[in-house]
Amino acid sequence: MPLTRRNFVKQSGLALSVTVAGKTLCLTPRQAYAQGVAFTNLSQVEVDTLEAICERLLPGAREEGVAQFVDKQLALDPNDSLLFLKCFNVEPPYLAFYRSALAEIVRLSEATYSRAVADLDEASATRLIESLRDGTTEDWNGPPPPLVYHALRNDAVDVVYGTMEGFADLGIPFLAHIEPPAVT
Amino acid sequence: MTQRAKVDVVVVGSGAAGSVYAAVLAEAGKSVLVLEKGADRKLSDLYSSQIWARRLKSAAPHVVEEGKDSIWYNFNAGHGYGGAAMHHYGVWPRYHPEDMLEQTRYGKGLDWPFDYEQLRPWYDQVQEDVGMSGDADKEIWRPPGAPYPLPPLPVFEHGRILARGFAALDLRTSPVPMAILSREYKGRPACIYDSWCDAGCPTGALANPLVEYLPRAVQAGAVMQPHSYVTRVLTDRAGKQATGVEYYDNDGVRHEQAADAVVVAAFTVENCRILLNSATGVHSDGLGNSSGTLGHYLMSHPAVSVFGLFKEETHCYYGVTGGQLFSQDGFEKDKSKDIFGSRQWEIGLGTKPNDLLGVAMSRADLFGNDLHEFVRHGVRHFGAMVGVCECLPHAANRIELADGKDRFGMPLARVNFNLDDYARNLWQQTADLGVQIFQAAGATEAWHSPPGGQHIMGGTIMGADRTASVTNEYAQLHDVPNVIIGGPSVFPTSSSVNSTFTAHAVALRSARHIAEHWGGLVG
Repeated sequence: MPLTRRNFVKQSGLALSVTVAGKTLCLTPRQAYAQGVAFTNLSQVEVDTLEAICERLLPGAREEGVAQFVDKQLALDPNDSLLFLKCFNVEPPYLAFYRSALAEIVRLSEATYSRAVADLDEASATRLIESLRDGTTEDWNGPPPPLVYHALRNDAVDVVYGTMEGFADLGIPFLAHIEPPAVT
Repeated sequence: MTQRAKVDVVVVGSGAAGSVYAAVLAEAGKSVLVLEKGADRKLSDLYSSQIWARRLKSAAPHVVEEGKDSIWYNFNAGHGYGGAAMHHYGVWPRYHPEDMLEQTRYGKGLDWPFDYEQLRPWYDQVQEDVGMSGDADKEIWRPPGAPYPLPPLPVFEHGRILARGFAALDLRTSPVPMAILSREYKGRPACIYDSWCDAGCPTGALANPLVEYLPRAVQAGAVMQPHSYVTRVLTDRAGKQATGVEYYDNDGVRHEQAADAVVVAAFTVENCRILLNSATGVHSDGLGNSSGTLGHYLMSHPAVSVFGLFKEETHCYYGVTGGQLFSQDGFEKDKSKDIFGSRQWEIGLGTKPNDLLGVAMSRADLFGNDLHEFVRHGVRHFGAMVGVCECLPHAANRIELADGKDRFGMPLARVNFNLDDYARNLWQQTADLGVQIFQAAGATEAWHSPPGGQHIMGGTIMGADRTASVTNEYAQLHDVPNVIIGGPSVFPTSSSVNSTFTAHAVALRSARHIAEHWGGLVG
C-alpha cells in the first residue's frame, strides 16, 4: 500500500483521538502539535521543558509531537501504555515519573544556568544532558537521572524514527503485517 | 462477592504453559476455565510497531527489585491472552542432558527430578504440534530428538556477514531452532521475514499460544476469561486440597471460582506471589512452602548484546527478531575455576531503529545530531547478536511479598537477585568474545551492551526431595497435589537456552500425567 498522508495517519501507530472545536479527530502527534491541541496531563511548564529537552536529545522531536504523544499516553492504564518507560521497572503511575523528572530538570537548569531549559544555549544544554546521562547531577531529588535521560531520549526516538514516516525518512522499508488502527 | 459454578480445572494465566494445560485437560474431557489478568487479544490486534508492541508487556502490578542485578521483569513478562509468549522470539533450543543433572555431574546447582530422556518425547511432541523449523544435523550440539518437521529458515545478508566472524575464529554456526514456520503448516502460513516477531506475529507463522494450544483448548470446550486477576488459591479447612481461586474483575469485584484442580501458570514472579499470598493457618508461610523454598532459587540469564557496524549493507531490518544463525560452541559448563556455566549465541537479530533492542539504543550515550547521524548510518550497516549465559540456582535469590500493595490489596512482589562470580565472569568472557567475533567478521566498529536479564526461572522448583523443593516431577505442589504449577518457575536450573520450549514440554508432560491420573488427583 502506498504511503499516503491519509494512510499514514492510520498507520503511524501513534494516532491520537482528540477533540477540537467539538469534533473528535484522529491526529498524529505531529498534527496535534501543529494544530496546538490542548494537553490534558502535563502542565505548560512541563510541556515546554519536555519539548526543549527532547529537541536537544534528538532534533525534530518537538515538531513530531513528542509532548503530545507523552501527554496522551500518561492517561492510559500502565499495562496499555506505549511509553518506552514501560520497558523499565518503574512503578506506575508514569505521570508521577514525568512530573518529578521534569520538575527536577527545571530546577537544575535554573540552579545551574539561571534560565529555563528552552532558553539554554547549545553548550549549556549539552552539559545538562550529559549530567543526566552520566548521573552527575547535584542535589537531584527525582528519578535516577540516567533513567530520565533514557526515557526522554527514547520518547524522542519513538516519534522521530519509530513511525512509518520515520522509517520512510530513513529510507528503509516498514514491512507492516497489520496497519495500526485508526482511532475514532 | 460472587461464587461461580464449579469447574474441573481453573487455569491461572493463558501463556505458554497455561495454554498447554488448558488444551490437554479440555481435550481429556475436563471442564476448564482459563483466568487471564490481562485483556482479550486476537492475532488481528498485533500491529507491526515496536511502539505498539509495548502493549504486550506487563507493567502492573509493580515488582519491587532489590539486589545488584535486575531480572528485567517488564521486558520478560507479558500481559493479556498468550502472556509473555506473545512477544517471545520463537528461539526454541532444548535443554541439554547435563543441564538437568548439574549437581550430580558438576557438584554445582541442582538436579531435575527426571532426566533428558524422560523429557525428550515431550519436546518431540511439542515441535510436531507447533511446527518447528531447523536442521537437526547441522545443529551439532542438539541433544537426541526427532528431526524438525520443517526445514530451517533462510539466512540473509545480516547472518552471512556475522557468520564470517565465527568461521574466522573456528566457531561453528547452524540454523536456529525456531518455532516459526519456514513453510505452510497445518493451515498456518510461512514466515515472510519482516522481523516484527516481538510485536506479536499476527500471521500465525510464529507459534505463540493464540495459534496452537489456546485454539485447541477452546475447541475442546475451555472457556477463556480476561480481566480476571487471581490473588489466592483457596484450600479446604485441613489444607490438604485446593478448592478453587479468589480473583477480582476489572471493576474490583471479588469472585471465588471453585475447581477440583488449580493450575497456576501466571509466570515466575506471579506464581510465587499468588502462592505466598495464599497462606492460611495450615500453610502459614505460603501455599506449598513446607520446604521453605517457595520463591527461592530465582534465576535469569545474564545476556549481552553485541553490536557492530559494517561497510556493506546488512539489511538488519529483515529476517526474524531472534536471529538467523545459532551457535552453542562454548556450551560446556566447566570452563575454568572462575567461570562456570553454558553459553549460546543468537546471531543476526532482526533490528528496527527504535525500542530497547533497536539501533538507536545500542549507542545510548549519543544524543543530538550525533544520534541522527548514527541512526541514519546504522539502520543500513548495523549488526547484532546476543550471547546468553547460564546462572546457577542459589537459595538466596528469591521472590517475597513486599510491604506495598496493589489496587486489590494484594501485596506486591519483591525480588532479590544477585549474580554470582561464575555468572559475572562468564558474562564478561562472552562479551569480550562477542566483540572479537564482530571484529573477525570485518566490523568497522564493535561494542557490547551492559548486562541484561533474559527469561525468568525458578521460585517453585521441581524436585524429588519434598524437603528441598516446592513441586514434584509433575509440577504438583508436594503439599497440595491438586495445585499444579506451570511455566519456567518449576525449572531447577537455567541452562543458557531460551526457556519457552522447555516450559511447553514440561507442561505437556505434566498435563498428560494429570489427565491420566485424574481420579487419584481429585480423590
